[in-house]
Amino acid sequence: MVQYSYFPGCNLKTNAKGFEETAIAVSKKLNVELVEIPNWNCCGTVHTMTSDNIMKRIAPVRVLSRSKKHIETLEESPNQVVTLCSMCNSTLKIVSKEVSDNQDTLDKINYQLEDDELTYENDIEVKHFLEILRDSVGYEGISKKVVKPLKGLKVSPYYGCMLLHPEEAKIDDEEMPDVLESLVESLGAELVMSPLFKYCCGSYHIVDQENIVSSQVEKIVEAATRRGANALVVACPLCSYNIDQQQKAMAKESAGFKPIPIFYFTQLMALAMGEPVKINHFKEHFINPEPLLKELGLIGRKKTK
Amino acid sequence: MSYEYIKFGKEEREFRQKIEEISGENIFSCYQCGKCSAGCMFSDKMDRTVNQQILRIQLGQKEKVLSANTHWVCASCLTCSVRCPRDIDVAAIMEAIREYTLREEPEKIKISELPKKVLEKLPNIALVANFRKKTG
Amino acid sequence: MSKTETKKENALPTVKIYIMGSAHEVPESLTIMKAMEYAGFKIKRGAGCRAGFCGACGTVYRKAGDYRLYAALACQTQVEDGMVLTQLPFIPAPKGIYDIDTLQPTESSILRYYPEVARCLSCNACSKVCPQDIQVMDFVQYSLQGQIDKAAEVSFDCVQCGLCAIRCPAEIPQYHVGMLARRLHGKYNTSTPETLLERVEEIENGTFEQGFEELLSLSKDGLKKRYTERDFVDQKKA
Repeated sequence: MVQYSYFPGCNLKTNAKGFEETAIAVSKKLNVELVEIPNWNCCGTVHTMTSDNIMKRIAPVRVLSRSKKHIETLEESPNQVVTLCSMCNSTLKIVSKEVSDNQDTLDKINYQLEDDELTYENDIEVKHFLEILRDSVGYEGISKKVVKPLKGLKVSPYYGCMLLHPEEAKIDDEEMPDVLESLVESLGAELVMSPLFKYCCGSYHIVDQENIVSSQVEKIVEAATRRGANALVVACPLCSYNIDQQQKAMAKESAGFKPIPIFYFTQLMALAMGEPVKINHFKEHFINPEPLLKELGLIGRKKTK
Repeated sequence: MSYEYIKFGKEEREFRQKIEEISGENIFSCYQCGKCSAGCMFSDKMDRTVNQQILRIQLGQKEKVLSANTHWVCASCLTCSVRCPRDIDVAAIMEAIREYTLREEPEKIKISELPKKVLEKLPNIALVANFRKKTG
Repeated sequence: MSKTETKKENALPTVKIYIMGSAHEVPESLTIMKAMEYAGFKIKRGAGCRAGFCGACGTVYRKAGDYRLYAALACQTQVEDGMVLTQLPFIPAPKGIYDIDTLQPTESSILRYYPEVARCLSCNACSKVCPQDIQVMDFVQYSLQGQIDKAAEVSFDCVQCGLCAIRCPAEIPQYHVGMLARRLHGKYNTSTPETLLERVEEIENGTFEQGFEELLSLSKDGLKKRYTERDFVDQKKA
């Protein structure tokens, strides 16, 4: 079993427990082990785009350096740190590119880290779990483990921004990605393409400008449902929260609005691979996916239709 | 019809240079094609589009740049940056306007005034991102 | 040999320290707190137990020829030659107002009262300054991640001196955050020790009332006598 140094990010311990637990469960089936970095810190979520702010770059470099220390304790581990959250993925990748291009910045940050017996030497690669699935495991390997194809589930992939932007962080082509599409197909679900696959959900504006988020979410969901989708698949806990929670508010306001459940890609994998339902933490979703899954006969014994 | 004279003095130059310094981008690379604003999914909520903001920076019109809501509506999705034909990190320029403001007035969002109920339900990822972008 | 130097030969070895900018010659064996008193300062606020437990005597200082800003508890740190120091008898940091009986330990219960925790830059300035050698940044991060049990454990040795809050670029009151984590953890995640229940019962039954009344009736000299003659042998067992 290949061991990867795994950086969870703050949200996987709070709002997105189902994301983490399903990822760990399915990776075991695929002969991959995600080993959590001990004592990790928040990467900062968003990357500073300023040229002169060293302070805001310390957190992600600290993560990389802690991960490097962690990798040394693992067996048979490639020099890679794996993230599940797409915001962590982008923040860590950008900063690792930046410090490899700019020794001066790295020196300044290392000067801060020295007191904690940490340094970073550009010697680690950041990978999103989707990249591991695509490049190391392969879709065929995933299909082989599927015991319950997700028949009837019409899934529209929603990438959000941080999986595809910027250049340094993208895991696939920024205008024509296919990693989520291929994954959904390999699980036996029906693919529904939406033009708004990377239409920003409004991100952190949820804190103080909720109206921006709600208008974005309305368009994203509408574009997917109009094309027949009955579920969205995402890789970002903030996209997931925004879309999920806003849909519930919208459904309350107008009776005509039909909300659709949101899945993390690992949840779909866990369902298809026959993992126990409870690791999905569906109870924490605002739009509970269980009624739909029951209706399609994907969970539970009784088939209602 | 009234006309506005374009001024090119020390103040204008200094503002432009500061934005260039913080963002690390050459503001005169922009040839105003408007692709950033066309692809921006928040353009409808901005009172001045992204390329208009850049033009104002080129002209050093500090007050006009800072009084627009453009950079506060921007959610750093980076679509403009990946699409710019002149390879300008447009989002970094929006970030520079934010930083310019925050370095003088560090609180765009008053954290201590956020209602407890809002704080309770929000995921920590949203708070971290928001405070990093909106407080200095 | 001048007069002053002859005088010094018989005296204790001394060092020169600067208290709020003014130079003082003090015996080198003293703690910062005693040295300040030796130099004539009367400490009204900023001293408590004098034994490193109460956290009232946070002090910041620099050493001669060293750019670093150090911090320590004045009662626990010996003076050094060339030290430039000032006491921080009080740290202004707002405390969250909560009712521990109604507050539940959820992932967001700390962020609800201290949302500024989300501003942590992971610079670790807090851990470096901590006189108790606590990994302050780690417990702040655990609080952000909603891992209240870990935050409580890591912050256990905190004496609430507040020096971390003074150094924090994100303006987080770390020591209050740790306190909330420990309160939540203590109330909801751990069992109440039997010995505590026993003692509460003893207090409620009035077991100690007679002793207290006896002490209250004593004169100042009587109290002093009792204090100097006290021993910690369990009367019942002895």
